[in-house]
Amino acid sequence: MTVPNPKQSFPGRILPVTLPAGPGGTPVTVGGQNALSLAPEGEKPNAAAIGMEARTGGGDLPPSLAKAFEGRATDPVSFAGACANEWGAQFLFLSLDGCHPDGGGQSVEEGARIVRDILAAVSCPVIVGGTGEEETDAKLFPAVAESAGRPVFLSYANEKNYRLVGGAALAYGHGVVAWSPIDINMAKQANLLLSDLGVPPERILIDPLTGGLGYGLEYTYSIVERIRLAGLSGDVMLARPVLCHLGDAWKAREAVDASETSWGDAVLRGRRWEETTGWACLAAGADLLVFRHPGNVEAFREAAWR
Amino acid sequence: MALTALDIYKLLPKTNCKECGFPTCLAFAMQMAAGKAGIDKCPPASEEAKAALGAASAPPLPRIVVGIGDRAVTLGDEVVLFRHEKTFYHPTAIAISISDALGDEALEERLRSISALSFERVGQILAVDMVAVRFDSGDPARFAKTASASLARCGKPLLLSGTCAALAAAVREVGPSRPLLRPPPGEAAAGAALAAAEKLPLAVPARGIEGLAAALAAARAAGATELVADPMPADAAGAVADSIFIRRLAIVHRAREIAYPTAFDLGQGFPRPFEAACLLLSKYASLLVLDTADPAEIFPLLTLRQNLFTDPQRPIQVDPGIYPIGKISPSSPVLVTTNFSLTYFTVRSDVEAAKTPAYLLIAECDGMSVLTAWAAGKFTSESIAALLAESGISGKVDHRTLILPGMVARLSGKIEEISKWRVLVGPQESSALPSYLRRLPPAAFVPSHG
Amino acid sequence: MGDPRKGILRFLPEGASVPLIPGDTILAHAIRSGVPILSPCGGEGRCGKCRVVVSGDVVGGDDPWALSPEDLRAGTRLACRCLPLEGEVVVTVLPESRPARLSAYIEGKEMAEDGPFLPLHVVPRKGIPLGVALDAGTSTLAGALIDLRNGSVLARTAADNPQMACGEDLISRIVFGEENPDGFPLLRSLLLTGIEQVIAGLVRSSSVEGEIVEVTAAGNTVVSHILYGLSPAPVRRPPHRPVLKEYPVKTGKDLGILSAPSARFRIFPSIGGFVGGDIVSGILASGMHREEDVSLLYDVGTNGEVVLGNREFRIACSSSAGPAFEGGEVACGMRAYPGAIESVRIDPVRLSAEWTVIGGGKPAGVCGSGILDLCAELFRTGLIDRAGRFVPREGASFRDTDRGKAFVVVRAEQSATGADIAFTASDLKSVVRTKAALCAAADALLRAVGLSREKVERVCIAGGFGNFLDLRSAQTLGVFPPFPLKKFVLLGNASLAGAIGALRNRKRWEEAGALCASTDYHDLSSDQGFMELYQRALFIPHTDAESYRGNPLPETAT
Repeated sequence: MTVPNPKQSFPGRILPVTLPAGPGGTPVTVGGQNALSLAPEGEKPNAAAIGMEARTGGGDLPPSLAKAFEGRATDPVSFAGACANEWGAQFLFLSLDGCHPDGGGQSVEEGARIVRDILAAVSCPVIVGGTGEEETDAKLFPAVAESAGRPVFLSYANEKNYRLVGGAALAYGHGVVAWSPIDINMAKQANLLLSDLGVPPERILIDPLTGGLGYGLEYTYSIVERIRLAGLSGDVMLARPVLCHLGDAWKAREAVDASETSWGDAVLRGRRWEETTGWACLAAGADLLVFRHPGNVEAFREAAWR
Repeated sequence: MALTALDIYKLLPKTNCKECGFPTCLAFAMQMAAGKAGIDKCPPASEEAKAALGAASAPPLPRIVVGIGDRAVTLGDEVVLFRHEKTFYHPTAIAISISDALGDEALEERLRSISALSFERVGQILAVDMVAVRFDSGDPARFAKTASASLARCGKPLLLSGTCAALAAAVREVGPSRPLLRPPPGEAAAGAALAAAEKLPLAVPARGIEGLAAALAAARAAGATELVADPMPADAAGAVADSIFIRRLAIVHRAREIAYPTAFDLGQGFPRPFEAACLLLSKYASLLVLDTADPAEIFPLLTLRQNLFTDPQRPIQVDPGIYPIGKISPSSPVLVTTNFSLTYFTVRSDVEAAKTPAYLLIAECDGMSVLTAWAAGKFTSESIAALLAESGISGKVDHRTLILPGMVARLSGKIEEISKWRVLVGPQESSALPSYLRRLPPAAFVPSHG
Repeated sequence: MGDPRKGILRFLPEGASVPLIPGDTILAHAIRSGVPILSPCGGEGRCGKCRVVVSGDVVGGDDPWALSPEDLRAGTRLACRCLPLEGEVVVTVLPESRPARLSAYIEGKEMAEDGPFLPLHVVPRKGIPLGVALDAGTSTLAGALIDLRNGSVLARTAADNPQMACGEDLISRIVFGEENPDGFPLLRSLLLTGIEQVIAGLVRSSSVEGEIVEVTAAGNTVVSHILYGLSPAPVRRPPHRPVLKEYPVKTGKDLGILSAPSARFRIFPSIGGFVGGDIVSGILASGMHREEDVSLLYDVGTNGEVVLGNREFRIACSSSAGPAFEGGEVACGMRAYPGAIESVRIDPVRLSAEWTVIGGGKPAGVCGSGILDLCAELFRTGLIDRAGRFVPREGASFRDTDRGKAFVVVRAEQSATGADIAFTASDLKSVVRTKAALCAAADALLRAVGLSREKVERVCIAGGFGNFLDLRSAQTLGVFPPFPLKKFVLLGNASLAGAIGALRNRKRWEEAGALCASTDYHDLSSDQGFMELYQRALFIPHTDAESYRGNPLPETAT
């Protein structure tokens, strides 16, 4: 008896996007596939890329991360080095949360300087994340764009600030992470606006906003699936690589609370909370994942079938 | 159903007789296209229509029930490949294994730890569904005793995994609880006969999809009708591929020979079981067997399951309640709006942009936006006044001033009358909040006395 | 009744005088005395449109967000917030605060083919048997006088729906009715007054001796209920069902319309809570219910009803689009009245606006078709982006207002009001939301029955706006899904045309009843996919830009 062929083929292809590296480093290319994730079918020239987040602001660490970083230097440059050289991150996501008025109050100049130092210290590709605070970012992005020593991706541009971030990217040769709040139409709209501005498609990544496990993950999951299906079915504006930043997973009480013994060991649980978020995003079609726990970076890089 | 409402409508009598309970034939056709009604509701339909529409609406994946009563678990019975197309109906069943080779104390401890795997989240209890008993001892009587003890202690439906001799012994004791039987591949025929005789569901293990199709056919030939497929993958990659392909074959290709719910044993040295469990929960597995009973691992898996199996057709909503923004204090302003997530998100982000710490009071409005909720009578003076009284916001601020979305300014007088709070009318557009909040006189938020 | 010694309010230019009742606003006095003043927000103090010039002892109504220091010095106040205190208070209603009279709203493409003229039910006591066809719209009442001997149209006229003073949209009026004691009776008497005015106007202008024996009235469900004497309150709450869908015939005397007491009033049946007899009448006029080809019918107005179908099926919905295309909700907006800018072009190099004004002369504001043109031109010249935000460009005239950034259409020196006519960011949002609702409604209906856009052969546009609709501007903005322009048919006031047709031919009236009973009502608020279609349509022309490729993109990228 023969069972029909269950493989599925699509008319479209996800645009390959390359995150450039520094001298001696390895650039990261994602996209290029013409099939859905996980199933062995179609052409998938590039595996999903695994990155780590480094932050410039201080702040308490959840037990799981505190344990993982035990004995480490905590200054951003050393930490970035550990991410790239010890823990196997293929790219770095540098969050300038230290420049947020509530998060450390570092000046824009300091933020830009840290970026420059890190870009000199590591050679892996880098994505620079702003503070999320409109007024600060309005000064931060141009400063970072201008003083960065090599091309990076700026995170993020949305419907309100796309001219600022897109403009800075165009002026200094950077890429843009286009962000939307878990809405497929807004994701497409953000790409349309950036495209009208003149940002080349191969310098755009889609960030659909990743809700952490238990706190909106399923919305992200479905939006990522829908974006991927639309892209593979011929919608060119959505045929772009998707980036899932898993930081939201660490905001969950379940990921950090050590007081509930019935929940098991907090150190393992925190790591698993981020890990579960990551696997789900990968299953939905994410092409780039940003982790905080080094153990998860290792686990994902080793996944055999990628 | 692949037929559109109009396709279906063309096959109906078009008399609008209303016997089906809907006002017109077109309305009925739309319900059928959405899978919410069957042609059986239309007695005057032609034989031809009944044949065409009846066949198209038969479920692509059968429904297998394991266990009895309110702990029974449903496997299969799904209609879509992507949850956003409609929803996934039956959450993946999770079974924790127990070996019959354990000594009495270890057995008791293991059963206790399985029962303890119960967590509460957002008003739901998340727990594992089944206990999977493994035949390791070589003694069928002992297997049967372990099965009984598991059933008695945990009260969950059982997956019984062992030789036919062991299965037969266990069935004599726990048969009435409708366990799922899983004989080894080498005893397929005898296992199927046992399941058929006892009218119990049967897991059919075989390697590869072609192999599975053949094994399932053999089981059916032996008289077993309630079947679950186990493709026996070697690793996570293989497991996910099998799961995706089998589900596609059932739903898209309607390949009846392989259209069955799937079960995966991720214990007994299966490589990287946590990874496999996450991926299989995302991609169509009906049942997973795990060796780990560590809550640090089971809790995240159950939460993932809870997330993926919520109904995506409910509009994205946030929970009603009090949301503090920034470094709030008892004199921080209080703003109210609805629980449509886009509304919440937009207003929240605009308040943050204002850099004025504030409380955002979110009202239950079925996920509707402000104007829609007002027009539908869900965001009214009465409901807002009730929210002020019942939410506990009075305990968080020492003023009694509320900022109302400009779109519903008309409600201000009545709210003041009922709640005795003072109401300020905010801007019509959330984007004007930063300038609005910055221009608010601090005198608006002095403590009220009495 | 108030004590006349307390005071008197005199309204100009009408000359109406009413006793001053302390505690009542000027607007309340105006409503009571039948003096029409625009009040889109229903007297809530939100819209700033009820401007009057006051002399005498008053307090309040000097809201700084609506009135400039110059306004206040000139004695201008908001009627809904201003309270007369005592003595003689003279209130002059400003021209821009008046609902307008529109000849545009009474012309409509006549029904295709009319059969023989059928016998009457009522014999006139004297003179010629006359019939009145009424379109009882939310904002405008339009009527036609018919000679029932031969079906010829003797006169046409229009008047404002006096209910406007209690709210511009239907929900506001229902709320007014629920929250004010005697609210519904007041709404009813205002409507009847308006209808009497229309009938009187028809009779006056035709100078024919006769008696009105038949009346057909097409109105939306809420207005039809009020006319019939039913409370429309249940329509507001889910499941939004009308109290009655069919209205048994009543005489003018029964209904309280004294200028046609023995006439038989036939009110068109309603399809659903928000799709009423005016749409049934419009479908009748369009003929879509008799054809094999699938058509879409749009009634472009505040309620934005859309119908999809053919002779086999029909399905209708109400998009509650909003009044932006009628000049409502837009600060510089006005009805299509002399002084209204009705078409706009923007010079792509100098980035300044050129316009035509109804009646020639200096412009006072912009009406629906002008607003549509303006937005399309702003997009074509790159002054707004796809998301509907202004793009600052060299040479373009922008100003900051407290409703956001604004594009100056007409400078103060050139305007009739002596102030800039400026189109604000907030106005732009209203327009984009209105057009998104209209566009998404059609897509929602297509999806509900499972038809693709290609299957639609004809797109009929009805509603008073329809006569002056520039289809190219509409498609640039994305008001409708991207149907080829050649498929569009402008019907004008189809509702009135259908009422006229039903008056002339009894068979048409029966046809209307049958088509109504077999037209489905689709409730968009419970259509889970609608929000997404709406979200998609919020882009200019649409998020699915590829299907609009025929349209010109902004000529310059920034």
